[in-house]
Amino acid sequence: MVNLLTRAIMMSTPLLLGALAEVYTERTGMMICAIEGIFLIGAWGGFVGTYLTGSLIIGLLAAILCGMVMAALYGIVTVYMKQQQVVTGTALNILAAGICAFFQRVLFGVPTTPLQIATLPKIAIPLLSKIPVLGPIFFQQNILTYLAYVLIPVAIFVLYKTSLGLTLRSTGENPEAVDVAGLNVNRIRFLTVLVAGAIGGLAGSFYTVGYLGMFTSGIIGGRGWIAFAICFLGNWNPKGVVFGTLAFGLADAVAIYIQAVSGHTIFPNELIIALPYILTIVLTIARSNLSVPAKLGVPYAKEN
Amino acid sequence: MAAPVEKNKNSANTVEIASSQPVVELSHVSKYFAKVVANKDVSLTVHAGEVVALLGENGAGKSTIMKILYGLYGKDEGTIRIRGEERQIKSPADAMQLGIAMIQQHFSLVPTHTATENIILGNVHGYIPITECNRRIRTLAETYGFDIPVDRKVGELAVGVQQKIEILKALYINASILIMDEPTAVLTPQESEVLMQFIHDFTKQGNSVVFITHKLKEVMEVADRIVVMRNGVVVDTVRRTETNEQQLARLMIGQEIVPSERDEALDFEQAVSVLELDNVSLALKGTSACVDSVSFAVHEGEIFGIAGVSGNGQDELCDILCGSRQPTCGEIRFLGRDITKDSIRSRIEAGIGYVPVDRYRDAMVMDMTLAENMLLKSSFSPVWQSRGFIRQKALNRYTAEKIVEHRVKATGPNDTARSLSGGNQQKVVLAREVDLGKQLLIFNQPTRGLDMGAVDRIHKVILEEKERKKAVLLVSTELTELFELCDRIAVMYRGRLMGVFHNGEKTTAEIGLLMAGVSDQQEVRA
Amino acid sequence: MKKRLGVPLYNIGAVLIGLVISASLLLFLKLNPVEVISLAVKKIVSDGYTLGEILVKATPLIFTSLAFAFTYKANLFNIGAQGQFYAGAIVAIALSLALGNRVPQAVLLGIVLVCSFAAGALVGGLIGFAKSKFHANEFLVSMMSTYVVSALMDFLLRTSLQENKAEYLQTDAIAKSAYLPTILPGTRVHLGFLLALVTAVLVWVLLYKTPLGFRIRAVGYNHSAAELGGIRSGRIYVTAFLIAGGLAGMAGFTEVNGVQHMLLQNFNTSIGSFGIGIAILANGNPIGCIFASILFGFLNVMGTTMGRLPGLNIPASIIDLIEGVVMICVIMSYFVRKAAETRSEKQRLKKAGVK
Repeated sequence: MVNLLTRAIMMSTPLLLGALAEVYTERTGMMICAIEGIFLIGAWGGFVGTYLTGSLIIGLLAAILCGMVMAALYGIVTVYMKQQQVVTGTALNILAAGICAFFQRVLFGVPTTPLQIATLPKIAIPLLSKIPVLGPIFFQQNILTYLAYVLIPVAIFVLYKTSLGLTLRSTGENPEAVDVAGLNVNRIRFLTVLVAGAIGGLAGSFYTVGYLGMFTSGIIGGRGWIAFAICFLGNWNPKGVVFGTLAFGLADAVAIYIQAVSGHTIFPNELIIALPYILTIVLTIARSNLSVPAKLGVPYAKEN
Repeated sequence: MAAPVEKNKNSANTVEIASSQPVVELSHVSKYFAKVVANKDVSLTVHAGEVVALLGENGAGKSTIMKILYGLYGKDEGTIRIRGEERQIKSPADAMQLGIAMIQQHFSLVPTHTATENIILGNVHGYIPITECNRRIRTLAETYGFDIPVDRKVGELAVGVQQKIEILKALYINASILIMDEPTAVLTPQESEVLMQFIHDFTKQGNSVVFITHKLKEVMEVADRIVVMRNGVVVDTVRRTETNEQQLARLMIGQEIVPSERDEALDFEQAVSVLELDNVSLALKGTSACVDSVSFAVHEGEIFGIAGVSGNGQDELCDILCGSRQPTCGEIRFLGRDITKDSIRSRIEAGIGYVPVDRYRDAMVMDMTLAENMLLKSSFSPVWQSRGFIRQKALNRYTAEKIVEHRVKATGPNDTARSLSGGNQQKVVLAREVDLGKQLLIFNQPTRGLDMGAVDRIHKVILEEKERKKAVLLVSTELTELFELCDRIAVMYRGRLMGVFHNGEKTTAEIGLLMAGVSDQQEVRA
Repeated sequence: MKKRLGVPLYNIGAVLIGLVISASLLLFLKLNPVEVISLAVKKIVSDGYTLGEILVKATPLIFTSLAFAFTYKANLFNIGAQGQFYAGAIVAIALSLALGNRVPQAVLLGIVLVCSFAAGALVGGLIGFAKSKFHANEFLVSMMSTYVVSALMDFLLRTSLQENKAEYLQTDAIAKSAYLPTILPGTRVHLGFLLALVTAVLVWVLLYKTPLGFRIRAVGYNHSAAELGGIRSGRIYVTAFLIAGGLAGMAGFTEVNGVQHMLLQNFNTSIGSFGIGIAILANGNPIGCIFASILFGFLNVMGTTMGRLPGLNIPASIIDLIEGVVMICVIMSYFVRKAAETRSEKQRLKKAGVK
């Protein structure tokens, strides 16, 4: 059971990071529909960086860089060229898949055995990890999980207690007011997207650098979209995102647990896998329009 | 405060008078939008301690030129000097740096944030000590005698209070040049007076105000100097003391207004009543009623006007009449039949035409062709269908006829609505609605934002429809329009009708008082 | 008239630029793009079967791109074509297995066609219902619906639909009598391709020639004006999603009965997202969807062919890369076109002076 929960927390890490990235940008009115692609390219960048240099740190930096490049492209097209976010996101997700697979081949050819890298070590936090039950669950994780822990209060502080947060929140609600106040709406949005790209790339790298130690083209498998959905479910606020992530992480872990214990025979495993998605649909329907940023998905265009 | 008067509107180099250098000097500024020339060769000056009124009709380019000064738009030609130095104002941040602030016609406030948060937006760095900020804003408000609930969400506050928050935003950054775009449009006369007092106090301290308006009365009340604009150019600059309302009106409109001829006031008591409202009310969640027990009747061949400052429930009343909103209580009868619960579609089919106030949002699909826009309200009608397909040829022919009949400037039925000018778009809407509204026509500010030519044409059409014995309901904020066209006029204030009068029974001044909510009984107290 | 021609011209230009950019990526593999491409094209052209594969690959893409384009006209995002496709595929395989060899081919195919359309429409309709009744975000709901339907498919593949050997997560092959007949001898091109062409034309007629299509477009451009025109946007949302879902469901039918002749786990996982890309490429025009789908079909075959060129070691995944680059170029071209139009308009005004 403890193992199960440890795993749930671990698997929640990238979702939490991705959802936080979305919270930041969606508060400014930008959905990052390329999140799936950013995850993927982050995973790939992390893998390649680590494999080529042998350094996990360089791997993580490479993941951040890849995520940012992807986000920059997304930002240029959606913020400055004012094209549809959903559409641009779809195109970039396909592009990311292509880039990863193609350059994987360019760099490594067709290896006979799968390429492996060392993964991020688990770090036991002194004292805290000794707490019974909670210790192993929460405090024997890798550095990315701890980073996620830290980023939650940071996001709460930044969004609600600082001028930056005020600006971000205002941009999603009424970009014109932000413009009139002498701030550059498009620059704010673009920079936020870049930051989200960095966080998203890092989140993606969790799957290679933090967990599997290898790269396959299907490694993300829709988890970027889940992070996207969690942001909606979490009502665009960091606290809500934590609960949303736990729901997904738990469902994931429970599915694996049931499969391990009973095989397929007793309970349809697929139902449990589908549960978080059904949950998302139900919650989307039930709490629609709760406090969605007023200008979410709307490019800021003034006549010129 | 001897402000120099520029008689020559297009003088190449402004005459510098040593005693007073202008704080703002625009010379030969032009601005082109994708489809229109917004400003052409505009030159004007503003001096310290002066109130300059920018007077002109809607669409004359007043807002645009000031948005250029405030950095919201980039100029295409010309120069801007601030306190004698040429400046490139690329963004509002540059403008604010130079002490310029601008209050937009549609306030730029974040409704879900508090007053304080709105005021400090962009002017605060790092951690926000919210209690300290609240205190500072409260103090600032008190020095100008404003009473602002600093920690309430702005969306919950009245429009007058929101405007004070906008002013505080300017004061917070110590602006010395304040631009206000149609600031009285949403205010009651009393609130306007408070605003005028503020402007006097503010300029007395050596600050300047640019006051954008299309109301002559206000200009005469508040301005030191008046810049009159028409069609994107400055037509003249005059001192208040050397002009009068008649001259200003002439400058602004460019031609004398000839009132259209009206029959003697008819007695409609005997005529068939087409539309009857019986105690119709609408209360939105959490607010007081925005339409409050409204009852009246519009008869065959009658033009019934509703006067009022915008935002007093007229739009909601129109929503109820066209069927897009259900009243909380009350009954609407059309030719004696209760239609309160009828859908929009069945009201269209019954013969009610409706010209909504926001053409872009509610009346047209800008990316569709004119023919398609003519079809918009009769897509269910068998007239335009055969065997499940649209009768495109017949529709095109019909549209082409209407284009000619209503003198729409368009090349043909396949033009997109977007490619037409505002006045021509409105003519298309009008053409459609007068055909659909066989019995009743509802107009909500049909001439708002249009040039005089289009306004004239629309007034003519309304009178023609009256001749055809249709009932017409005309909602307008322009008293002149109502006095020109209507048989009876009702005044709406805070959702209530303050009375219904035959045209001629009351003077404009009396109606104006009613629009401000001062009824005969209250007058004694006020 | 000039404007109407402008859009396709910009699109074609963007596609060409995209192709050039992505082809030059072959340089990374130290290959000469011109040589490789001409080699691959020669190979495709010389072989009837491979040529036919272009149309085979294009067939389901026409349906899924129509599924996105159709709701797009109502200003809705149907990201769930993949799930609607699966729903259609599940019904198609179940019916084909049940009815194979029992009813005449034409009747069977007719039944399967209608039912797979209905299955996709059901999934789509639910999304539309959530949108119109609860104002739910259709983008999110449709996206999530794919995962749910996909889980349902996995469940069925493991249980009631699983092959008799019960070894893999797949069904038995359907009877020959349930096959969509091949229409070009020597290739795998089946009747489904013609069905796709006819469907695209019908969708075009529906959108541009009928009152319903008019209402859908009116709601898409300006729902508030449409509402005041007596059109209930809620109903339009449901209708648009019903039809879009059905269109994607038909892809399930043509893929199961025309190509795969069985259903297996992770079946055609990317035709949903490619459909979106194609619809964008075609600017939402149903007829454009045909050509864009064939282009994608061609790129797909091109990728596979290049991958099979002996000794060159080109990954088939280059196809994703090409398609991604082409899509981004097309999206950017919309911006470029608008900017160019605005600029020339401004120039004209500057010269003309005050109106």
